[in-house]
Amino acid sequence: MAFLLTVNPGLILIAAGCLAAFLPFRLARQVLAVGAPLVALAILLNADQRVDLSVVSALGLDLVLFRVDSLSFIFGLAFLIAAFLNAIYALHQDDRIQDGSALIYAGAAVAATFAGDLMTLFIFWELTAVSSVFLILRAGTTAAHGAAMRYLAIQILSGVLMLDGAAYYLKANGTMALEAFESLQDPGALLIFAAFGIKAAFPLLHNWLQDSYPKATVTGAVVLSAFTTKLAVYALARMFPGEDTLIWIGAVMTVFPVFFAVIENDLRKVLAYSLNNQVGFMVCAIGVGTPLAMNGAAAHAFCHIIYKALLFMSMGAVLYRTGTTKATELGGLYKSMPWTALFCLIGAASISAFPLFSGFVAKSLTISAVAEAQLFIVWGMLLFASAGVLEHSGIKIPYFAFFGHDSGKRVKEAPFNMLLAMGMAAFICIFVGLPTMASGGGYGWLYRMLPYPQEALAYQPFTAEHILTQMQLLVLAAFAFVLLKRIGAYPPEKRGLILDFDWSYRKAGYNAALWAGAVWSKTGPAMTATFTGMYKRAYGRLEAAFSPEGVLARGRLSGGMAIWTAALLGVVLLLSFISAS
Amino acid sequence: MSEENGPGDLERDGSGRFQKRPESADPQRPSADDDMHPVAKALFGWVGLPGVGRMIFWGLAALSLVLILLDFGMSRHDKVETANATGFYGIYGFLAFAFVVLAGWPLGRLLRRDENYYGDQDEPADGGRERG
Repeated sequence: MAFLLTVNPGLILIAAGCLAAFLPFRLARQVLAVGAPLVALAILLNADQRVDLSVVSALGLDLVLFRVDSLSFIFGLAFLIAAFLNAIYALHQDDRIQDGSALIYAGAAVAATFAGDLMTLFIFWELTAVSSVFLILRAGTTAAHGAAMRYLAIQILSGVLMLDGAAYYLKANGTMALEAFESLQDPGALLIFAAFGIKAAFPLLHNWLQDSYPKATVTGAVVLSAFTTKLAVYALARMFPGEDTLIWIGAVMTVFPVFFAVIENDLRKVLAYSLNNQVGFMVCAIGVGTPLAMNGAAAHAFCHIIYKALLFMSMGAVLYRTGTTKATELGGLYKSMPWTALFCLIGAASISAFPLFSGFVAKSLTISAVAEAQLFIVWGMLLFASAGVLEHSGIKIPYFAFFGHDSGKRVKEAPFNMLLAMGMAAFICIFVGLPTMASGGGYGWLYRMLPYPQEALAYQPFTAEHILTQMQLLVLAAFAFVLLKRIGAYPPEKRGLILDFDWSYRKAGYNAALWAGAVWSKTGPAMTATFTGMYKRAYGRLEAAFSPEGVLARGRLSGGMAIWTAALLGVVLLLSFISAS
Repeated sequence: MSEENGPGDLERDGSGRFQKRPESADPQRPSADDDMHPVAKALFGWVGLPGVGRMIFWGLAALSLVLILLDFGMSRHDKVETANATGFYGIYGFLAFAFVVLAGWPLGRLLRRDENYYGDQDEPADGGRERG
């Protein structure tokens, strides 16, 4: 039992996942999927903090497999809760590959969170990529297949960059311990920064997310939404706190997806853009790096994992029942899926940061920290993005799926296990968002677990001033929605694909490669022919001169020899004369 | 056609994705349009009432007004000086929201392409595998 407490909880999930992937018994897999996160949670809650709980030596490196501190605790906790909710959400499905893959993937993310050194982090970092790709592949479409391959390539690239950076880091520091970098100029820092940036979906590195998540399976998208990007957020918080570049990267990240989300028709893709926007808040907070901001990043990550999973769950239920998540084909589903609609609305209220919902107590920390750091332009961008979140996640998702124009679709309510998972997620969204209660609930429960609990508990989200300003922002933005709808200025949903930066490699880059291939297929043979001709001619001339039948062999042998010997001797004499003088 | 498409109650949609057949009719209940899930009637029964759209519109307008009026009675101490102006957050939210939505018109025209733009939508799933 004592040994069990030193096992990285992620490894429990990974072991359960490996077993589940080969178990033909559905019930056994279900027990594993639901039970493993609970066992892992028990280990985490009993783990000593700031101690290397498990160390293994390999290849001359000390791998710290399990180390908990206040930063990794909150991320690990959120991951395990998500893994548990995902397991319940997937109970209706009978698919060994997805069950196994989801468990290993969640386990890898948890294990990476509690890694005490870069090498261990790298190993589980790569495992998250390799294990999660099946959640996309199992959708079974050509589009999903292509997206899965692009996803894998980009994720592996992230791992390779990280390993490269880790090598520089080891050479410079003589240790692999996870320490924050002083600056991006440190050896290996830029490579590791880029590796984290890919996984966190920094602007222009973000397309793998919108490409793959909407094409994943019903349950796959829910699972995917929780781990990869938030693991990157954790890694950034661990190694680059207070890195100024992150402030601007984060701010841009909050703003630009808003514009794509408003015109996107596939509601799961809207959620993928929304994910990007939310991660931007966390990245920005890490860039600010003050205790208040770091608390903001961690709290936001925790709340976001739950409400984003909830939103993906609701859209997954819609996809499961109707076969589509396209806004153009949905509407009026509240009539037949009222529970799903209700849970979706709770998720939407949470992500929009309405007071009494979880987003409010989390996002406030970040925005206050940015204002305190006197970053006014960034502050304005975050505020703008907050209104944007209300547009795409707060209003668009529930409105077009469940209300709006009635599509006439009358389907069954989501399966009970899905509703149960959504209900639990919705409960957490509200539980965390309430004012602190005597029973230990409310936002205080979350704030006590943040990296800087004292600073967090000194912060008051529920002031009259704060509630009023937040309500003003949200209510007037919502009023803008009904006004624009009323006067017909709201752009209608249309079918179609929205171009994004991935055009550069999926179209321009791909076509350039095709063109280069075509050019090469013509020039290649031509060049080969030219070179072959040159060889032949040169060889012919040499042969004509030096072969037994050649020019030099004609006449007397000694004559030719003597001439050449004399000539060589002359050259040698000349060289020695020059070098001597 | 549908027999070849997949096992059980799965079929393929236009993009070749396996999916459950749309359950357009729940055998438990008649498919009359006003027939709603009992919970839906309790929770969202009001949504379908006549004049609800207008009520939401004017309700939000009134609430907006109240929130801005409340701001007059409160001296706020925001770290950002400009934000202390009365109604700043409301106006900012309104303008930001309107800008995002209105930007959707030109952006949609600029960036929207055919759904099969990348050519991966129409083929059934196995097509890729056979070729690969």
